[in-house]
Amino acid sequence: MTQETLLSSSAPLALTRRQLMQRTALGAGALAVGGLGLPRTARAAGEINFWASATLDIGDGWKTFTKDSGVGVAFTDNGNDPGPVVAKLAAGNANDVFDVGGLQGGSEKELAKQRLIAPWDIGKIPNYASVWQWAKDIPYLTYEGQTYAIPTVINADSMIALEDKVGKVDSYGVIFDPKLKGKTAMEDAWINSAIFTAIYLKNSENAKIGEPGNLTPDELGVVMEFLIKHKKDGQFRTFWSGWEQGVQLVANQEVYVMTGWEPIVYAARQRGINAYYAVPREGYEGWGNNTVLLKGAVDRGLSETAHTFANALLAGYYGCKLGELRGYVVPTDNNVAYAAAHPDAFDAKKVKDLGEHVKAKFAGKVYWQNTRPDNFQLYEQWWQKLRNA
Amino acid sequence: MSRRSALADRLRRPAILLSAPALIVLIGAGLIPLVLIAFWSFWSFDPATYWIKPEFTFDSYRALLGTGRLPVFVRTTGLAALAAALCTVLAFPASAIIGMMSGPRRATVLLALFTIPFFTSALIRAFAWRLVLGRTGIVNHALVGLGIVDQPVEWLLFSDFAVTIGMVAAYLPFAVVPMVLVLARIEPSVIRASQDLGAGFWTTLRRIVLPLAMPGVFAGFLFVFVVALGTSTEIQLLGGAGESSISIMINDIMRVVNFPLAFAVATTVVVVLAAIVILADRILGLSRMFEDLGA
Repeated sequence: MTQETLLSSSAPLALTRRQLMQRTALGAGALAVGGLGLPRTARAAGEINFWASATLDIGDGWKTFTKDSGVGVAFTDNGNDPGPVVAKLAAGNANDVFDVGGLQGGSEKELAKQRLIAPWDIGKIPNYASVWQWAKDIPYLTYEGQTYAIPTVINADSMIALEDKVGKVDSYGVIFDPKLKGKTAMEDAWINSAIFTAIYLKNSENAKIGEPGNLTPDELGVVMEFLIKHKKDGQFRTFWSGWEQGVQLVANQEVYVMTGWEPIVYAARQRGINAYYAVPREGYEGWGNNTVLLKGAVDRGLSETAHTFANALLAGYYGCKLGELRGYVVPTDNNVAYAAAHPDAFDAKKVKDLGEHVKAKFAGKVYWQNTRPDNFQLYEQWWQKLRNA
Repeated sequence: MSRRSALADRLRRPAILLSAPALIVLIGAGLIPLVLIAFWSFWSFDPATYWIKPEFTFDSYRALLGTGRLPVFVRTTGLAALAAALCTVLAFPASAIIGMMSGPRRATVLLALFTIPFFTSALIRAFAWRLVLGRTGIVNHALVGLGIVDQPVEWLLFSDFAVTIGMVAAYLPFAVVPMVLVLARIEPSVIRASQDLGAGFWTTLRRIVLPLAMPGVFAGFLFVFVVALGTSTEIQLLGGAGESSISIMINDIMRVVNFPLAFAVATTVVVVLAAIVILADRILGLSRMFEDLGA
C-alpha cells in the first residue's frame, strides 16, 4: 500500500489508538521527507518548474529559451542523487511542487510503475523526431509501450590515464594491474564502479555477465568479490567522489589511471599534466539524463506546457548553450542547425565537433548506466562489504 | 528560608519563561525527531514504494549485525576515540597556560587563535591536507629533498594516519574550551598550599590539578569524540580506498532510501553515546563541573 492510499483510504471514523499513532507518524514522516529542501515557488502562467541535476541549468540562458519557446522556466537543483530524488517523488511532495524532472537514467520504470510520472505524448513533441536513433533506444525510456522519458543529455565515460606513467592503454584491465598497485582509483559509487568492473569482466575475463548495468545477485557477487580482492591487495589508492577530488588526484599524480569523467582530462591538461581519455576495447559506460513528466503537472493541467517545454529542450538553443557551458550534448542535430542560424551566438563547427565526438564513442560498445538496478538494495550491501574489506 | 533561596524562588518564574523558547526548540527540533527516528527504526521497509510500512520488526537491527555494518561502528568509534584522546593530551597544556597562567586579555587572544581553523569550511581544511601529505605534497617533497627517503611515503595520505591528523587539526579547539573553563576555576591558593606542603610540580599536577580538572578534561574528550564520530569529511578525503564511517554508511543507505535501516544506525549511535555519557558521569563525576552553580 502506498502512503497515498494509506492516508486516503476510507477508513472507519473510529480509529484505534494504534492506527492513530501509525497514521500520525506516517504523516509526520511524509512531511519530514517532503520538506527536505523543496521550495514552494510562486507559479506564473505558462511556467514550468524544472527539477533536475544542477548541470542541466543554463542560468541566464533560460531567458532566451523562454523568448524562443514561450515557456518560462523556474529551475531547481534536485541534487542528482537518484535515491533522494525517487524518495521525494514517492514519499515527499516533489510532485506537488515540480512539473518536469531531469533524472539520471534508470529509475524511470520504477516511477512509471508507481504512477509518479506520466507518459509523454510524442506527437506533441515534433523535435523528438530529430533525436538520434541510438539515443531513442536507451532501454529506460519506455514502460509498457509508452515513452516516459526523453533523452536530454547523453555521454559515455571511461577512464583517465597519465601517458607519461602508463603509456597508451585501451583496457580497464590496467585499473586492476598489480604493476600499478596503489596507483589506480575508481569512483566511490556502486552506480559507476560496479558497472565498469562488470564491463571489464564480461569482455576481457569472459565472466558470465548478461547486462553490466543490471546485475543478477550471482553476477553482482562475482563483480564485488573481484573488487574486494583487489582492494585487499592494495590496488586502489582511493575511491574518489566529486569534481575537485577527481581533478586533484590526476593533476597531482596521486593516481596514474582511474575511471572517471572526461572533463577531468581537460582540467588536468590545463595544469600541464599529460592526461588522456582512454578508448577501452571493452566499451564505455553510457549515461543519459532523461526528462520526465511529473504526474503532478498533469493533475495541475500543465501537460501541454510541459510538452512545449520538452520540445524546446530539443529545439537547438538549449543544446548549444549546454554544450557551451558544460560540454554536454543534447542528442539532436538541431543544435548544429541552430548554431548555423545564429553565428553571432554560437560557433557551428564547435557544436558539430562536440556532437561528433560523442557520436564516435557510441559507435562502439556502450553499456548504459542504471541508477536503479533490480537488486539495488543488494548493491548497497555489497558496497558496504567492499568498504569494510 | 535563607535570603539566597528566597531570591532563587523569586527568579524561578521569569527564568522558566526566558528559557521556554530554548526548551521548545530543544524538544521540537531535537528530542521529538530523535524519538520518531527511534520509533520508525522498528518499522519495515517496502522497496516497492520506497517507503516505510507500519509493521513492527527488528529487521533493520538484524541488518546492522548481518551485513558487515558492525565493524564500521567499531572502527569509527576507535578512530574518534583516538582523535579525541590525542586532542585531549594536546589541549591540556595549552588550556593550562590559557586558564591558569594568562591574564584575561592574553587568555582571550590565545583562545581566539584556537578558533582560526573554523574560519574556513571543513571540506577545505581536509582537502588542504591532501596537498600537504600527498605523493607530491609538501612533506614528501621535503623528505625526498633532504634525502631521508628515496621515494615518496605513500601512507602519509589515504590512511588512518592522515585521517587522524585531519581530525586532530580540525577538532582540537573543542577540547581546549571546556578545559580552559575548568582550569581557570582552580583557586591559585590551592596550588600554593600544595607547594607549601612540599609537593613538587608533578605531584601537584597529578594529585591536585588533574583531579579538579577531570570533568573538563572529559568534557573536552567527549566534545571531540562526538564530532569525530559524526564526521565523514576527513575519512572520505584522507582515508583509504572506500573507507567507511557511521555517517558515510548512513549516506550510502539513504541513497537506496532504506529509511528504517538508516534510522536504526542513527538510533544505535545515540544510545551508545548516551551510555558513554552516563558511564562517564558515574566514573568521573561530570556533574562536578556544575557543583557550585546551584543554590
